[in-house]
Parts: sequence; structure tokens; C-alpha cells
Amino acid sequence: MLTNALNGLVYGSLLFVLSSGLVLVYGLRRVVNFSHGALYMLGAYIGYSIALRYGFTAGVLAGGIALGLVGIVLDLLVFRNLSDRNPLVTVIVTFGVFLVLEDIVKSVWGTQNYTLDPPAALAGVVEIGGNPFPAYRLFIIGASFLMAMILVVWLKFGRTGLFVRAASVDPSVAAMCGVRTDLLGPAVVGLGAAFAGFSGIIAAPFLSLHPAMGSEILVLSFVVSVIGGLGSFVGAFVSAMLLGQMQAFGTVYMPELASLLPFLLMSFILIWRPQGLGGRSA
Amino acid sequence: MTALLELRNVVAGYGAARILHDLNLSIGEGERVSVIGRNGVGKTTIVNTLLGTSRFMGGEVLYRGRALPKIAGHTAATCGIAVVPQGRKILPNLTVAENLRLGAALGRKGRWTIDEIYRLFPILHERRNSSGTALSGGQQQMIAIGRALMANPDLLILDEPCEGLAPVIVDEISAIFKNLAATGVGILLIEQHLNLVREITDRFYVISKGSVVRSGHVASVSQHDLQTSIMQ
Ligand SMILES: Nc1ncnc2c1ncn2[C@@H]1O[C@H](COP(=O)(O)OP(=O)(O)OP(=O)(O)O)[C@@H](O)[C@H]1O
Ligand SMILES: [Mg+2]
Repeated sequence: MLTNALNGLVYGSLLFVLSSGLVLVYGLRRVVNFSHGALYMLGAYIGYSIALRYGFTAGVLAGGIALGLVGIVLDLLVFRNLSDRNPLVTVIVTFGVFLVLEDIVKSVWGTQNYTLDPPAALAGVVEIGGNPFPAYRLFIIGASFLMAMILVVWLKFGRTGLFVRAASVDPSVAAMCGVRTDLLGPAVVGLGAAFAGFSGIIAAPFLSLHPAMGSEILVLSFVVSVIGGLGSFVGAFVSAMLLGQMQAFGTVYMPELASLLPFLLMSFILIWRPQGLGGRSA
Repeated sequence: MTALLELRNVVAGYGAARILHDLNLSIGEGERVSVIGRNGVGKTTIVNTLLGTSRFMGGEVLYRGRALPKIAGHTAATCGIAVVPQGRKILPNLTVAENLRLGAALGRKGRWTIDEIYRLFPILHERRNSSGTALSGGQQQMIAIGRALMANPDLLILDEPCEGLAPVIVDEISAIFKNLAATGVGILLIEQHLNLVREITDRFYVISKGSVVRSGHVASVSQHDLQTSIMQ
């Protein structure tokens, strides 16, 4: 029981870190980024290759930093031009980016599965309530909460965080006050992609690497963002935690339904609150 | 003496529509100038041209004698120009204090700090943690003024700052503008009501159909004369 709840927390916190990248990009660019799952996957594979050679810490840093750079390029080449477009165009273009990145991963790393061992310091188990629990999973929870806290504190109290929030609502007012809104886009999309990359490599020892990981997680993080209300961090947090728990308990108690549960939850919540949990009604 | 800001034969508009035609206007350092004209003649479009939100189609904008090569959203702010925009443009997702801090985005130092703004408008201190748009229209105008002052600007552009406010609030805000005028900051006041024009500015431009049709010193024309030149 407790173990299930903890596993749900592990999964939920990964989903939250991943989704907060989506929320961040949507907030500023009003672009629902369907390539986000591929960014997660790319982060995992790059981090994996680096971790094999230079150790786990280097792998985590590489996954985050490399994806941050990919995000900057992506904004300059693609997202910048999508801001005022029809949502359907956005979906098609970002999904196209998803397919391209997924193919790049397949041609570089092949289609086989890889597993990455957790670093030695985190390889053991910890006793929680009388049950053994892998230490690495606790690390996932801790690392995710740390990243989420950094993001929230930066947005709420940081100088540039204030600029991002201002530009999310009215870029022309932010610019009028002197904010370089032209630089904010690449920075924020880079940060969102870095979050995807981090969550990919951090998840790697827990979930293993395979060519479908991007699409699997994309669907879930998309469900998280929709349930949470696009653009709301609090909503994304609540729905990621809900989904994590559903995943953990669902696979144990109703395995044949588990993969459907997120969509059932999404349907129910959207019928009850079409703008999502944290969204403002339009 | 070179002007702080000069518009030379500016043509600007939106999409294919030309709103400003060969507009010429200049304002010196610390000078107080007004731009007057009826609804829809293009007054706000002058501001939008400086903020890069209208389409620049010709002419030049000079800052301290040098033509600005390209006007982006932040250009005016980097030139020390702060704007109290028409409609106030307070951001609803930011608190009063955050809306004010946004004004100091470039970190220019000067007499205006957030404490000075709170001294000028004590109600903003009281409501500092409320959402900016939860306040009344007059209080939101105080935020907009405070936000512009937080930039410690050389030139303050006020676009119909009293529009839609109750007469008592107009009196209160006019008194504040008079005090501001005495601090030596340059002011470009866009107005349709001529009392404020006379109280705080020395020179005027009358705009009609996107061009300057008359200009002069406020002191040398009668209020009636000004009023009729707007109406033609
Ligand atoms: N964003 C826009 N897109 C297209 N046309 C616009 C836009 N903003 C203003 N216009 C048009 O440009 C013309 C001039 O508008 P502007 O706002 O500059 O007038 P104004 O002199 O400031 O009027 P007011 O006193 O009502 O504020 C008007 O005909 C208006 O309809
Ligand atoms: Mg106007």
C-alpha cells in the first residue's frame, strides 16, 4: 500500500517536471508543444551515452544542457513563427518535429532497449514502513521537487521570472518597460526543453530506454497539462500527482484498465471543468 | 540644440492602412509638449510607432540627433522613454507591486524607487499584494503612472491619462502631473481636454488625419482658439 503510494509519487513527480516544461512554453508562446515527448526521449538517450562514459552526474547535466540548446534552436527555427498561428498548424508542425527527433534517436541509437544502472551511491534500498524501497526512486522524488521549487521560486520572485510572467500575458507591455521579449522566447523554450531532458535522463534508470518512450510519455504529459488547465503550474502539479497515483494503484489492482485510466480521468474532469483544474474560464 | 526625440516625415499605420502621413514633431530634453486632436486622428499611433507596435512605413525617428535604425518593442525604454499607455495596460496576473517593479526592468537609477511611488500613492502600498486589475480605474492609473516613473525616464509619454476617470480623481492626478512637471522630466502629453494641456505643457501640436496641422506655444493662444483648431 505505502509502496504503491510512493511509486505513484515517483511517477507523478517525473510527470510534473516534464509537464512543467510544457506549461512554461505554452504560457509564453501559446504553443502546445507536441514535440515535448521527443525532447524527453532525446534527453534520456544523450544522458545515457554520456553517463556510460563519464558517470551518472555528467549524464544528467548533459541531458539537461544539450536539450536546453535544442530548445533554443527549436524556438528560433520553429516556435517563434508559430505564436500567432492557428492551433491546428501548431499541432501539425510540433508533431512533425516530434517525428523527426524520434527518427534521429532511432537512427543514432537503434531500436533496441537500453537500461541504465542507477549510480552506485543510490543503488541500494531503503526501508520505509517495514518495506524495502529503492533509494534511486527517492532520489527521483527529491530531484523533481527541487527542480519544481527552483522553477516556482524563480518565476515568483526572480527578476527575469517576473519578465516571463509579464510577457506571457502581454509581450508588448513587457517590451514597453524594456524587457527584451525577443530573447525571452528562446530562453524559456530552452528551459522547458532542458526540463524535458532532465526528466528523461533522471527517469532512465527507473523506466529504461526504448523507442516508444517518447510517445508514451507525450500522451501522459499532455493529459496532465489538459487536466491541469493549459498554462497552470498548480493544476499540472495536482493532475500529475493524481495520474501518478492512478498509474501506481491501477497497475496493481486493475491491470487491464490501467492504461485507460488517464483518459477516463481526463474525460470526467473536462466534462466537469472544461478549462481544467487550474485553468481560468475563458 | 539637438532634440531628445524627433519624428521626421514619419509614415506609419497598421497592415496596409496609413494612419500617420509625413508627421513631424520634436521634443527637447526636459521639455513639456502636448499632442492634441480629436478621436481617431492617430495620436496613439504616434506612441505605437515609438513602441514598435504599429507598422513603420517611412521617415525617421531620431534620438538625441541620431536616427534609430530599427524600432523594436524595447527601443523606447532603452532610450529612457516611459509610457503611460491609453487604457493603462495593467497586467492582471501580476500584483500591484510586481506591476510597478516591471517598470524598473532596465534598472535605471534615479529619484524614483518603489518606496517613493508608495509615498506618492499610499493606496498602492496598501494594496501592493492585490492583483493589479482588482483595483479601481483611478488606482490602476496610479499603477500605470508609478510603473512609468519606476523607469526613471528622461521623457514620460502620457496617452489620455484622465480618460474614463471620475472628476475628483482627475483633479488628484492632474495635481500629481503638475508636481512631476516641476521635477524637470520631459513630458509628452496626449490629451483632448485642454485644461491639463495648459497647466502642464508649454508647446502643443494639433494633429488631424495623421499630420501636424498646427503647432505653437500654449501661452500665446487662447483656450478658445485651441479648441477650434482641434475641431476643424
Ligand atoms: N491596432 C490597430 N489596427 C488597425 N487599425 C488601428 C489600430 N489601432 C488604431 N487603428 C486605427 O488607426 C486610426 C488612428 O487610431 P489612434 O488610436 O492612433 O487614434 P487616437 O488619435 O489615439 O484616438 P483616441 O483619441 O480615440 O485615442 C483609427 O482609425 C483606428 O481605427
Ligand atoms: Mg488614442
